[in-house]
Amino acid sequence: MVVTGRVPLLLLLGLVPVVLRPLPSTPWLWLLLVVAACGADALLAAPPRALEVVRGPVPGVRLGTPGRSELVVHNTTRRRLRGLVRDAWVPSAGAHDNRHPVRVAPGDRPLLRTPLLPRRRGDLRAVGVTVRSLGPLGLAGRQRTLLVPGTLRSLPPFASRRHLPSRLARLRELDGRAAVRVRGQGTEFDSLREYVRGDDVRAIDWRASSRSRHVVVRTWQPERHRRVVLVLDTSRTSAGRVGDVPRLDPAMDAALLLGALATRAGDRVDLVAGDRRVRTRLRTHGAPDLVARLQDALADLEPVLAEADWPGLVGAVAALGRQRALVVLLTPVEPTAVEAGLLPALPALTRHHRVVVASVRDPALEELVAGRGTLEEVYDAAAAARASARRERTIALLRALGVDVVDAEPDRLAPALADHYLSLKARGLL
Amino acid sequence: MSTVGAPPPGPAAPAAAAPAAAGTARSRRGTWLLVGAGLVVAVAVAVVVAGGPRSSERLDPDNPDRDGAQALARVLDGEGVDVVVARGADELDATPVDAGTTVLLTRPDLLGRESAERLVAHAGDAQLVVAGARPGALAVLGVETGSSSLPPGFATEAACTLPDLAERLDGLRLDVDDAVGHDLPGCFAAPSLTAAGSTTGTVLSRARPGLLLLGAADLLANDRLLRADHAAIALRLLGGGDRLVWYVPSAADLGAEDGVALSALLPRWVVPALVLAVLALGALMLWRGRRLGPLATEPLPVVVRASETVHSRGRLYRRSGDRAHAAHALREATRSALARRLRVGAAPGGVPPEELVRAVARATGHGEDDVATLVGSDAPDPTTDHDLIALAAALAALEEEVRRA
Repeated sequence: MVVTGRVPLLLLLGLVPVVLRPLPSTPWLWLLLVVAACGADALLAAPPRALEVVRGPVPGVRLGTPGRSELVVHNTTRRRLRGLVRDAWVPSAGAHDNRHPVRVAPGDRPLLRTPLLPRRRGDLRAVGVTVRSLGPLGLAGRQRTLLVPGTLRSLPPFASRRHLPSRLARLRELDGRAAVRVRGQGTEFDSLREYVRGDDVRAIDWRASSRSRHVVVRTWQPERHRRVVLVLDTSRTSAGRVGDVPRLDPAMDAALLLGALATRAGDRVDLVAGDRRVRTRLRTHGAPDLVARLQDALADLEPVLAEADWPGLVGAVAALGRQRALVVLLTPVEPTAVEAGLLPALPALTRHHRVVVASVRDPALEELVAGRGTLEEVYDAAAAARASARRERTIALLRALGVDVVDAEPDRLAPALADHYLSLKARGLL
Repeated sequence: MSTVGAPPPGPAAPAAAAPAAAGTARSRRGTWLLVGAGLVVAVAVAVVVAGGPRSSERLDPDNPDRDGAQALARVLDGEGVDVVVARGADELDATPVDAGTTVLLTRPDLLGRESAERLVAHAGDAQLVVAGARPGALAVLGVETGSSSLPPGFATEAACTLPDLAERLDGLRLDVDDAVGHDLPGCFAAPSLTAAGSTTGTVLSRARPGLLLLGAADLLANDRLLRADHAAIALRLLGGGDRLVWYVPSAADLGAEDGVALSALLPRWVVPALVLAVLALGALMLWRGRRLGPLATEPLPVVVRASETVHSRGRLYRRSGDRAHAAHALREATRSALARRLRVGAAPGGVPPEELVRAVARATGHGEDDVATLVGSDAPDPTTDHDLIALAAALAALEEEVRRA
């Protein structure tokens, strides 16, 4: 039972009978009248329980881009439904304008569209559809919240997408499709073709030329069909906030850029994400929609406050195949966590694969080191200097084990990792 | 608080520049003491001179002002009448009243329903004279009569219709500015203003046996007592017995029911309308208070600043005041930064400090000893917080200098 703003107004209208009949009982009699009118109105309202509310499929969208959800309200009663329908979502789904005034004739089934604007990554749930059905007088009505499940998948935003064109251009240069051809380690024989002016004379294949009327050159292309395994650490070290987002988000961004680049370069990309246990495992076989599949796989990952089980993750990587691969560990270089967890598990990886650690560096650390103003800042600077030194030692330790370390600030990590991949590819170190 | 021996300040003391601060303070304190003592003396003298109670109420027996009635009280006293002033109902109850007593009431407007009943009951068979009663006071005294204001400058002779009053008052003349006539038998008949031609209004009227109403209370006032035959009227009216109890009601005796209820002044529909407004307010709260469905809650992830541990460690250093440790960390950081910058040694961790000091001195032109006290291996630890801040600033300046060189 709900009442509308008309009820207090109707009660105030009782001033007329009160002035005409100034007795103590008059307001109470008027109240009785109004209550009776409200009760009758509520009884005459269409029962919200008898409505059939169905939610259409909710298409997933990238974080920060508008989406929508659609409801079909089927009025199965014999009364006209008038009132409000609220399609409630969790606040971060950004369901503004989610209160729909409705007037549904019996048997009608109108479509209600709620615009969504997700502000958080992951699966955002609808929490219920509230129907407020008012009576013919608009005085009172009935209200009920129906459970109409729905989920909006908010995908990682892939902000580093803007770096993709420049890296693809570099890849084409490597690939031999552009003007510059590079021969040497890291390339494999592609084909023989006729010499044209401008070709490097060192590329002439004399043996083939002797069997032909023309001078023939060999062309080369970078090695293809390699494997890239992205290992995303969702443990406690990834939960730390750098800037406004947890470290996990820039790491995901870097994974997406590298995945997109490696797919275009003809490599196969696999993904393992986990902390204490493996959360996501994705094998792609050169699928063209890799970025979409990666985004979908990453969408619902949140950092958990637990230590990473590196032997388990390494086992998951090994289970993906024994072929030599570029294993990219997207984990922050936190000295204690790395030394206690990652280092013992590393040899198993480096024995078979080339390993790169991509770490999100916290720019706040350098700012702290530079702070010299007050006593507090100086002590913080000392602590930060100590932490930096330990980090440097850990990075040196990792490098000594033959692991490449890409350590960059959040917005620089994705392009830095892509550049590192390209340089590895150019040098044939995959 | 030792003021003993403080020299009494002369009149010129505050004006003259004091030779010493202490002397000035002492003389100032002495001045205040003098002023305080003077005040106390003045109050004491005033209390002594004032001599007894004094009132400024209208027609009060202790009020010597123009509209007081002290003159009448003194005159009656001088004539041998025992004048007893009773203030408040309790004092009146404590004052014995018998048949030979006259009870005078000069401020009937202060009489409440309860105190009026007590007065009438206490007066018993004594003569009760009520001066200047307005309709409200008449109502509480239980007198039902019409009364009207008389024209200003009213003057007449007592022509009493009651024999016992006639023999005491006939021939005396009344001349007052402000008087009220009652539609009762009595003396000083006056033409009524209300009904044309009817001359029933009397200024001194008997409401019932033992209760006299005096419509011209002004004749008792100090400055009117000598006008016309007022003094004679007052003496014959009040000096008839050997005792006069002058009752001055107190406002504290008014009961709760003596006030006028606000509801009596308002239109009758106001209270029901207020009830209705409260009901409407309740409906408004029902309307606004009902939410359209439950609150949408969201599970939020735990998010900690990545640099939180560094901040905590900094606080820890500070709380323990470990300046040596902090200085060591800062020097270490500067040493590795300088080594990287100047490309000294193979590994940044393994640079011999002496070599680094030499290289820095070469690059910046500072003396080796100066550089060694900043970043050398056996440089002194800072002993105060200030030293630590200075050291940190100096290290930063050195790094900057090397970067520029």
